[in-house]
Amino acid sequence: MTSKLPRALVGVGVSALLTLGLAAQTSAQVYPPYGPDIPVITNTDPPSGAYYQDQEKEPAPNPWNEESIWNMKVEGYNDNQARPVYQPLVVNQDGREILYMGSLAGSALNPLTGVVESNGTTIIDVTDVKKTKFLYHIPGPAPINGSYSQAGAQMVRVCGGNTLPNATANGTAGHWYLLRAFGNAGANESHQLWDVTNPAAPKFVTTVVGELQNTHKSWWECDTGIAFLVAGATADGFHVGGGNTQHIYVYDLSNPYKPVFIRQFGLVGQQPSASASSLPCATAPSATCYEGAVWPPGPVHGPISMGTTVNRVYLPYGVSTDGVIQIVDRSKLVNGCLRSGPAGANPNASADCANNPTQADMLWPQVSWITMNPENGGHSSMPVLNVPIPEEQTNFLDGTPQSKSLLFVASEGTANNCYGLAPHDAWILDIGNDGYNNDTTPWPMSTLNVAQFPGDFCGKGARFGAHAVTEAIYPPYYGKIISISWFNAGVRVWDIRDPKNPKPVAYWIQAPNANTESSCSTIDGATNCYNAVMNDYVEYDDRGYLYAADRAGSGVTILSLTGEARNAILPPAE
Amino acid sequence: MNKRMMIAPLAGAALSWMAVSLPSPVTAAAPPQGSISERKLAQIVPGKSTRAKVQSILGPPWRVVQFNDCGAAMPDQADETWDYRGKDANGTYRVHIEFDDNGVTHLVAKIPDYVTGGKGTTAKVAPAGAMKSMPM
Repeated sequence: MTSKLPRALVGVGVSALLTLGLAAQTSAQVYPPYGPDIPVITNTDPPSGAYYQDQEKEPAPNPWNEESIWNMKVEGYNDNQARPVYQPLVVNQDGREILYMGSLAGSALNPLTGVVESNGTTIIDVTDVKKTKFLYHIPGPAPINGSYSQAGAQMVRVCGGNTLPNATANGTAGHWYLLRAFGNAGANESHQLWDVTNPAAPKFVTTVVGELQNTHKSWWECDTGIAFLVAGATADGFHVGGGNTQHIYVYDLSNPYKPVFIRQFGLVGQQPSASASSLPCATAPSATCYEGAVWPPGPVHGPISMGTTVNRVYLPYGVSTDGVIQIVDRSKLVNGCLRSGPAGANPNASADCANNPTQADMLWPQVSWITMNPENGGHSSMPVLNVPIPEEQTNFLDGTPQSKSLLFVASEGTANNCYGLAPHDAWILDIGNDGYNNDTTPWPMSTLNVAQFPGDFCGKGARFGAHAVTEAIYPPYYGKIISISWFNAGVRVWDIRDPKNPKPVAYWIQAPNANTESSCSTIDGATNCYNAVMNDYVEYDDRGYLYAADRAGSGVTILSLTGEARNAILPPAE
Repeated sequence: MNKRMMIAPLAGAALSWMAVSLPSPVTAAAPPQGSISERKLAQIVPGKSTRAKVQSILGPPWRVVQFNDCGAAMPDQADETWDYRGKDANGTYRVHIEFDDNGVTHLVAKIPDYVTGGKGTTAKVAPAGAMKSMPM
């Protein structure tokens, strides 16, 4: 209930924002990962929620070689030098809107330098969405023995130096910093920091951690400097499924010039002392048991921290199979290897908790966890907290309006033409009642699904299925709509104001273009290649634009919402 | 406590320098091309032709793509792909060549940029014994 909210929480006038139009600038910098505030979500649905509302019928998509669009409008585009994108991130950088994008491996010509460069980090000025300007490409790792299989630089996070703690003392004031993965699955991967104060001329700062065999999607709290890096090396001794080593490294990056290691962390069963003889904690709890369906548990994909106000971190494991979703206490995660001192310290922490944690060390921060159907894995776990439930605004419990905290979970579809894998969907989990950390054991509330027909997406080529949930934690969309990248089925948008009855309200499927990398597959002895786009991620900026980035090299497209999708974020009176 | 804490600044700087300065094996972009002759394409044999052989026949590719992801390459998408641009009487197209983990061609396809209805284009692949299987 709103009356129970911490005073630090901030509401935002959505109507004012929309009155000003898309050109209006509202700062996302007060919300995670930039600041401690949490957007207040107000109920705008009638008491019946979405259940009895008229629903606009979703139109069938056009043929595979054509664009399909519903309740969205294309506003801008950049070809990204034909590089395949993994993750886009838009930052309001001192009034300029700067798009940072991590790339999958490969190489392409950079016309700004005239050199073919290994795919790395793209920086594009999107302040004027009609005239995007490619500013810089920071190359990724060079190929090894002629192969790019270990290259790429998929992930990006950006913090303003003014937001980082002790800015004056650390010399970060007035600067901006980029955290990126350098390499994906090789012998000497790392996480790097760059100074991107001038995004057209980035400067290398330091390597946070190197000698890694895996990196992936990290999270960096700008107001505390704490970073939850996804990384791993065989030498760490952690047990991770799928021949992987990915787990969590917690770092203090408040001073980007002097990274400070805090600890390693993972799911129970991944600690170095676990073994193949372990039994599942669900049926045979013991000091050596593992959480989830298999040992060793799968790799963590990408944590999201809701910062110091909520004090929770959300961790998806498994990516596409044998998934587990875990929620942990942030303070206990960060400080749990200290035996005294700050909140979250653990008097019983083991002597080598930071690098060789015991099961007890791993359990200390854990709040809850849920095992997924082994057909699916944890790719995204995006919290949307304290969402008013329309039909529970009266009569239930003590009669006062009730809210739920939700976790949007997606499993990554990984097969071309759907062949050999189960469907990969997304789900809304109920993780807590009124307030922000009144935790309950996660329990599914509803499903977000895209049907393979009428688009015949399994015949279209490339991947079909969920990939990533939008991670923007700021108005106007937070708690109103959610977007999920669905590979060859494009950008998918749901109205989530009644999360028990989420409504599809918009989609956009890019038409393949001359830069679209073909996807080939062999089925029943026949090998065919398709020019099919794969929307990898969709993200928002603080003006309300959506950025659809294509894994198949077709560029990044800037979109806005129209019709019923736009109405979802308008107050009822409008 | 902190075996991961300190990477020597010089090592970091060296890595950065390497990233920016080391040329990839492909040192120049292929300019927009005209038709890629069928005679040249026929010289690229799935199951036999190496990266070096392909480059000697067609020159450096317009683009290289490697769809590895999420810490591990997906079984049917783990192959490095070289793309070449071409144009003939039917319009623009790409020659799409996939290499296996040993750097040997296992798939070649001439794919029009625009295919009516978005249907698939048949590819030439290595003999069955050399083929990769679909993920199960």
